Amino acid sequence: MQVFKAMFKIVKKRLPSAMVYIIVFVTISVLVTNASSKDNQFKASRMEISVFDHDDTPESRALTEYLGKNNDIVEIEDDKDKIIDALYYKKLNYALIINEGYAEKLKAGETADLFGNYHLDECFSTVYIGQFLNEYTSSIKAYLAMGKTSDEAIALAEEALSVQTEVNMLRVDKGGNSHYSVDFAGYFQYMPYVLISVILAVVCQVLVTMNKKDIRYRTNCSCIKNSKYTAQLFIGSGLFVLAVWLLLIAVGAVLNEEMYTGRAWYAVLNSLIFSVIVAAMAVFIASFDPKDNVLSLITQITGLGMSFFCGIFIPMDVLSDGVLSVARFMPAYWYIRANNMIADIEAFDKDKIFQCYAMQLAFIAAFVTLTLLVRRIRYSGASIGTAVKKAAVS
Amino acid sequence: MFLHILKYELKNGLRTKDLMIWLILFPIALGICFKIAFGSIYDKTEKFSSIPVAIVEENENEAFRQVINSIESSEEPFLKASFVTREKAEKLLDDGEVEGIIFSGDELSLTVKEKGLRETMLKFFTEQFTVRERIISDAIKTSPEKAQEVIAALTENTESSCRDIPVTQGNPDLYIQYFYNLIAMVALFGCNTGVHITIQNQADLSALGARNNCSPAHKSVSILACLAGSFIMQTFCMILCVSFVAFILKVDFGDRLLLVYPAAILGGILGVSFGFFVGSLARVGEKAKTAIVTSAAMLMCFCSGLMMANMKLFIAEKMPWFNNINPAALISDCFYCLNIYEDYGRFISKLINIAVITVIFIFLGFISSRRKKYASV
Repeated sequence: MQVFKAMFKIVKKRLPSAMVYIIVFVTISVLVTNASSKDNQFKASRMEISVFDHDDTPESRALTEYLGKNNDIVEIEDDKDKIIDALYYKKLNYALIINEGYAEKLKAGETADLFGNYHLDECFSTVYIGQFLNEYTSSIKAYLAMGKTSDEAIALAEEALSVQTEVNMLRVDKGGNSHYSVDFAGYFQYMPYVLISVILAVVCQVLVTMNKKDIRYRTNCSCIKNSKYTAQLFIGSGLFVLAVWLLLIAVGAVLNEEMYTGRAWYAVLNSLIFSVIVAAMAVFIASFDPKDNVLSLITQITGLGMSFFCGIFIPMDVLSDGVLSVARFMPAYWYIRANNMIADIEAFDKDKIFQCYAMQLAFIAAFVTLTLLVRRIRYSGASIGTAVKKAAVS
Repeated sequence: MFLHILKYELKNGLRTKDLMIWLILFPIALGICFKIAFGSIYDKTEKFSSIPVAIVEENENEAFRQVINSIESSEEPFLKASFVTREKAEKLLDDGEVEGIIFSGDELSLTVKEKGLRETMLKFFTEQFTVRERIISDAIKTSPEKAQEVIAALTENTESSCRDIPVTQGNPDLYIQYFYNLIAMVALFGCNTGVHITIQNQADLSALGARNNCSPAHKSVSILACLAGSFIMQTFCMILCVSFVAFILKVDFGDRLLLVYPAAILGGILGVSFGFFVGSLARVGEKAKTAIVTSAAMLMCFCSGLMMANMKLFIAEKMPWFNNINPAALISDCFYCLNIYEDYGRFISKLINIAVITVIFIFLGFISSRRKKYASV
């Protein structure tokens, strides 16, 4: 088992940098898990609104109070730069100014120019609050037209506006009965990035080190059989990949506070297949003997590239069709497709999930074939012969 | 002597592969990723556009149909409605073709797939309709003679009650923050070149250092020449990076693109000086030095929002002073100021901050690399 032992000596050296990814991933997962709720009831979005009340009458205060019922009122300094910053970073959705003379205009039945708002861009939140303000003022105006006093009109308008439409979710049992909650889906969605970064960084590095010219020549002239050598390499890499995967799965169960049940097993299987893909990819990349700096560039680009292209970092439905059609040629795309179906983001369909598995298995087969091919060409007698000749000449 | 060393420093830099990889290739790859990920996200999720909705008519509801038709015929319609059957509507919703289904029966009800602002707006829209119905029926009940007036009050309201006060001419897309930080990252990665200078001048770290130390050239001259060489190379990388982001990725920097270049170049110089400072201060090996500066640079970029765009605002609330000394935040803030603010006040103060920090780094770097003698190497 010398080869095996030697491998793990190198693994040990690379482990700290790999652990950074795992620790960051787990920490972020913990934070996110605590923040999200598991139920699937519809909740109206609350806007962050700041109100600059230049009128300061009972009427304007009533409006502020009413806005605060369904939204969060944010206190912010009346400083243009600070308001722009807050609007830009979406810390604030709407900066409302209640103009002086609001109450009087309203009583007179005028609704134009009651308010101002610091306007950064025409986004959904500005349109929404704009609509709300129009509705609020025209309701009051309607009640005033009925001959009510302004206090009565405000009270009646607020009462009328408090009607609630019944909102149903399309698939109510999202997470509930399927045993695959939204948190789980998120955890499994980000997992490929960690798997790629950790496995490529460690396994590739180990294989490249083992394959360094001097070490390889030394191993080649030792009495250990070539097949045994390869087998030990495989077992070693396999064990490492399995360990990383098991660790992530175990952490997932702990974070979700329950054992995997029902649909969640599909996700577990999905991630296992993906780990094997990454392992195969690592062996493939290692067979080119990249230098250290090139290897870390490849690791970064594969990890980040797949994450951005295939919907790991950002949901698939925000990506353009062109990007997604390129992404089809990457294994993570099929992983995420399967995960989306398991999480009910797309309709759950067992056959389609198995199709995604099959696509991923095809990637494994492709990487293995390519690796064999590359090794065949690079380490064949002819190419070594040329290398030796070259060395001799120089 | 100065020019001689400068020439060799430049030659040396051009042949360093790490420089090519981390200062040119990696940012290009990451920039492409950012473009793919964040290029259309703003237009798709934040910027207002008509909300597609399916309408299933359970009972004949003429009034509702009229409202929908009048909305759709307006200039900037709020809804894009399609009247379909229940099955078709559910399929559309599941495929993401529509944001929600409105069932118009005796009462309106809504079915959605996600919980978000657009869904909330649909909910508000259906409520709006119910509210108006209710107000009109109130009017007919209590004062039927005024009903006409009430209906007029509700419907004639074509003018918005709210006047927009535009605050900027710039690009309001939050996601271009990632590109600002990408440029800041390239600038700070210049620290690796900075570290390189110190390694070349410390006899215990490299053979080149040993040779440089016993050469008759004055140390300050040789370090100055190396610094100048690194600044030139970093400037080249920054120009390349900004041009790539602005012209190939077509990221909108607002209308003052020409000022983005000097800000980026100054940022790059700051990055090199940072590496030079840490390199001369820390008496550790080459690998440890590189690891220290690279992780410090990444940490600064993290705090300025390379990984999460609103990190900078979070820090601005908790420890506002940190954004004024964090090089990455300063550099990306420069671009932000150029894009968003009309006046140059904040932009210039950020530039001054960068310049001051650069001078401090270079000064301290020189001080700590002075008078280093080696008894034996």
